[in-house]
Amino acid sequence: MSKKNKQPKTYFDKVHSWGRISTISALCVLLMFPMAICLYLGVFPEAEYVFKGLLKVIPLYWTVAVVEVIFYTPMLGAGGTYLSFVTGNIVNLKLPCAISAMQNAKVKATSEEGDVISTIAIATSAIVTTAVLAVGVIAFAPFLDTFTNSPLLMPAFKQVIPALFGALGAGYFVAHWKLSFAPILFMLLILVFVPTIGASTLIFPGIIASVLFAFIMYKVGFLDKKEKKAKK
Amino acid sequence: MFDNSSLGLYLIAGAVILFVLGQSLFFLIKAWKHGKEMGIDKKKLKNAVTSSALFTIPSALSVLATVIALAPALGLVIPWVRLSVIGNITYETVAATEAINAFGITTGITEAITDPEVYAGVAWVMTIGICFSLVVLPFVAKPLHKKFLEASKKAETEVAEEAPNEESAEAAPAKKKRSIAGFMDYVTPALFIGLIGAFVANSILGAGSQKNPAPLDGAGVLSVLTLGTAVIVSVVLELVSKKFKLTWLEPFVMPIGMIAGMVVAVVAYNVLPADIALLEWRG
Repeated sequence: MSKKNKQPKTYFDKVHSWGRISTISALCVLLMFPMAICLYLGVFPEAEYVFKGLLKVIPLYWTVAVVEVIFYTPMLGAGGTYLSFVTGNIVNLKLPCAISAMQNAKVKATSEEGDVISTIAIATSAIVTTAVLAVGVIAFAPFLDTFTNSPLLMPAFKQVIPALFGALGAGYFVAHWKLSFAPILFMLLILVFVPTIGASTLIFPGIIASVLFAFIMYKVGFLDKKEKKAKK
Repeated sequence: MFDNSSLGLYLIAGAVILFVLGQSLFFLIKAWKHGKEMGIDKKKLKNAVTSSALFTIPSALSVLATVIALAPALGLVIPWVRLSVIGNITYETVAATEAINAFGITTGITEAITDPEVYAGVAWVMTIGICFSLVVLPFVAKPLHKKFLEASKKAETEVAEEAPNEESAEAAPAKKKRSIAGFMDYVTPALFIGLIGAFVANSILGAGSQKNPAPLDGAGVLSVLTLGTAVIVSVVLELVSKKFKLTWLEPFVMPIGMIAGMVVAVVAYNVLPADIALLEWRG
């Protein structure tokens, strides 16, 4: 009978262990939040109304949750995945930070180095967001409405998404122009016919099309030479 | 009527937020230590922190704006927790509205919730509605990540075997074997492009919300001006930092590009005639 040699845990193994423990703990803490509110206020809402509300949100958001885990895990890396799904705001905060940091550090998302950089970027982003929200909520609550809705600053907050993805996309599209033009054209075409689709839904056909176009271009040899040097 | 901003509720929220903060700090320290063990240049690690912090602030302010948008109905405690743990801007507003509607209140998020039972019910709906990714993650993340890493490693090995040196690979591209494993190198960039492209395309041709229409929520003059400015400033700064070897500038390129885009949005909104500044071609 052969005895299996126990191999030492790799960095990724450790990250997955920490990640699993912290995710399950976060889930418990999160579910304790409404429970604590009920106990503190001494009330328990009627289950019928809660189920009625859940029926409206669960079909869409639970499906999206599964799709997001499958799509975003390869992009976020091991540590980044666990942190991002607990702290949220993945698309508008965590992923852009991770992509930008890996681009600056010139590391591949699939490498151990990339994983470290991505985790550091996402953890920093989570800490800064938590700090901004905490300071905003505790210290500036009375003035916040005037601040974000002032005619002078309102347009800036309304245009956060184009500003964020413009800045992020610029370097990426230049470095990967061959991979970029077809999926962007495809997504613009979708928007011509379905302008109300919304970016958060457009991501999924966009990602599938992008990978598919990349595969076709790879197979016909269009990505040879220069693109290969630019890839990360 | 109950007090939705009592100290007790703030303390409950504070405990949840502290947990999240602790988790982020734990991963940051572990990754930093491992980075140093691997011999990654300390400057690279520091740059990741600097650029991420700068890149986060403007977006974090817009997350804060969502907390404020939900405050008239729910106070600050529930939105604060919901947007600090898992939450996201698009989900929370919809979930809160649906949860409030389920209790037979038709005013949505505009009127204060005065019944503590409804308040607690909304907290349950918003929490259970968003938590499913945390149920899936412990089962799926490891095998998925492992598969992806294996495929990438296989790709690297095969590419190395196919093209022992770049010259010979370039000399005979027609003869190159293009295996699925070799394609793995392009998967991550393609995924990123799909993601970034969706937001870029939506800023050019996307319509605003049909359910809750608001000014400047669709593609128009302002979104394209902002997008264009962010792209141009980032590209120019990137070129300048490369040409003059200004490595200190690199982590600031994207944050500066982003802030420049937002500044142009403010200037254009306040300078251009209203019918031009507010023009949204898809509604």
